[in-house]
Amino acid sequence: MIIIGERINGMFKDIGLAIREHDPKPLQEWAVKQKEGGAHYLDVNTGPNSEDQTVDLPWMINVVKEVSDLPLAIDTTNYDAMEAALIAYGKPGALINSIGCEQEKIDRVFPMAAKYQADVVCLCINKVGIPKSAEDRVAMAMEFVANAEAYGLQPDNLFIDPIILPVNVAQEHGIEALETIRQIKMISNPPPKTTVGLSNISQKSPHRPLINRTFAIMAMTAGLDSAICDANDEALVDAIATARLILNQDIYCDSYAKVFRQR
Amino acid sequence: MALTGLDIFKQLPKTNCKDCGSPTCLAFAMAMANGKASLDMCPHATEAAKETLGAATAPPVKTVKVGVGEQEVVLGDETVLFRHDKTFYHPTALAIQISDKLSGAELDAKIEKVNALVMDRVGQRIAVDMIAITNCSGDAATFKAAVEAVAAKANFALLLVADVAGLEAAVPAVAAKKPLIHAATAENWEKVVALAKANNCPVVVKGNGLDDVAALVEKVAKEYKEIVIDFGNTAPAKTLGDMVNARRLAIKKKFRPFGYPMLACALAADPKEEVVEAVTYVAKYASIVCLKADEKHHLLPLMAWRMNIYTDPQKPMAVEAKVYEIGDVGPDCPVYVCTNFALTYFAVEGEVVGSKIPGYIVAVDTDGASVLTAWAAGKFVAEPIYETIKACGIMDKVNHNNIVIPGYVAIITGKLKEISGLDVIVGPQEAVGIPAFAKARYPQLMK
Repeated sequence: MIIIGERINGMFKDIGLAIREHDPKPLQEWAVKQKEGGAHYLDVNTGPNSEDQTVDLPWMINVVKEVSDLPLAIDTTNYDAMEAALIAYGKPGALINSIGCEQEKIDRVFPMAAKYQADVVCLCINKVGIPKSAEDRVAMAMEFVANAEAYGLQPDNLFIDPIILPVNVAQEHGIEALETIRQIKMISNPPPKTTVGLSNISQKSPHRPLINRTFAIMAMTAGLDSAICDANDEALVDAIATARLILNQDIYCDSYAKVFRQR
Repeated sequence: MALTGLDIFKQLPKTNCKDCGSPTCLAFAMAMANGKASLDMCPHATEAAKETLGAATAPPVKTVKVGVGEQEVVLGDETVLFRHDKTFYHPTALAIQISDKLSGAELDAKIEKVNALVMDRVGQRIAVDMIAITNCSGDAATFKAAVEAVAAKANFALLLVADVAGLEAAVPAVAAKKPLIHAATAENWEKVVALAKANNCPVVVKGNGLDDVAALVEKVAKEYKEIVIDFGNTAPAKTLGDMVNARRLAIKKKFRPFGYPMLACALAADPKEEVVEAVTYVAKYASIVCLKADEKHHLLPLMAWRMNIYTDPQKPMAVEAKVYEIGDVGPDCPVYVCTNFALTYFAVEGEVVGSKIPGYIVAVDTDGASVLTAWAAGKFVAEPIYETIKACGIMDKVNHNNIVIPGYVAIITGKLKEISGLDVIVGPQEAVGIPAFAKARYPQLMK
């Protein structure tokens, strides 16, 4: 289970302020802190208040890169900023986050992924909106995989996100997302990877961490490979480490929770 | 490994006509991958698509049989790369080489020697499986005579190694024994495969490395599918790499040309090195290993290794249920009772050895379950323990009336005393306590 730390995002006040003032300190502190928590990737997002993402996002990438060797998830829908950030990142293994299931987006981003040897988060969503049924989501996942082949990417270069919605207002979507994850594993060999924006499941509900970690381990059982989430939610990381044991993905030892955080 | 949605989608007409009941060909492909639809629901699927998808659902490694009756050897039909993932099913067949240059008494003596390569290990019979007659003389008539002589006397399936002329002379004479024919090569495959097909014998397809063999198998498989693969061992490290890659491709990628059992010939001249080389091939996917070594002391370790590699890891390892004598035992020595689960028995044995006090260990048959597991299942309680002690006659060998049971099953003491009339001594809970226990109890027996 790959944990993509969500905290370096301009939506958070401290990061938003740091971006405006180009102060690297808060970004770098969160980079270190998230790795200590158990993050395997760091998501980097300017948030809604960036004047010019093509400037701010590469700057963010550079300051995070100074203190962390973790791979970075470049979180933007501005494709010029995305490319500038990939150039700033300057090595293979970045994660592009994200594109929807529309041919023009695929045609713009997949060649970029191939050129910079990056993986891509692909959302099961299109102009029409978020599909209700697992079938429709899987059909989109298939579109992504079929396109990946055409652009010289492997299916496992894709992190397909079935899209999860808040359980308080879109309760019927959760189980469809779980079924989507299960079916994505049958699309190809090797299968695509899967991811979710975990915190979405608990928007505006009480006991958010409880809802988040319960969904995380249910989704892992269905075949979830990664999640964009709070890497410093200790109970969540503990639950993920425990689920990995029960799924026989890690060899048991008494200090398994500690070992999981060290990898 | 089931078919993936993408594999199926590639074979579909991509018309999105909805005649199958699914909204799109993509959706239909996923429904098929989920086992919720079958290809016959698509009225536009081509014959080629049906064949491709049918072949993909075949097992990753074909089963090939050599020999008949008692001598039959089953090869292939493996599904995993690591035994701990499930198990390896069909143990590697060991084929011992006999040259056709031998004749008369020499040949008879050699056949006898190979026939005698049968041993007993942990209560099971282990043996070689095949005799490989090699056309070293280069003469077809000589080869035929040698093959017939071996076929008449050998207790094992046959592997015939010769050029086209030699094979054409010898194969029809022993076709009833269903020998394995070695080998179809790029130069002669049409003739050799036609011969194999006509006589209903499996055939080895031999090339040089992965690409070469894959291309040749594709040609041969169109005509005949009873195939064993030989990568033409020129260097053990390369052969190991070839076999690992081939088995990976067969299982993980359903690559049909490598979906057959594999044969490797050991190259080393020195029998000890030859056995070490063969050990590698046995561990790494060879279905047949050919050797020149024919001494029992060379082959026993190889056979033991093969037996271990091909045991089922999910089944508990058991030792033979019997009395084990540890050290220089005498009538005063203690009698320890434990189960025949290998881990339990060896833990006890190690500690009895470590106690430096000779003793008897009675391993009770619990179907290989540990002390507490067997106790909970009613297999390590008073009656079966007493039955075992009676049947093995251990109490006739000692001049006392004591048996030592594991501390964890102290609860059975009363019942066991009652039905057996023996003095039941409750030993330590852990085997590691045996040395201290024995020294305290039997100081006079210290060696």
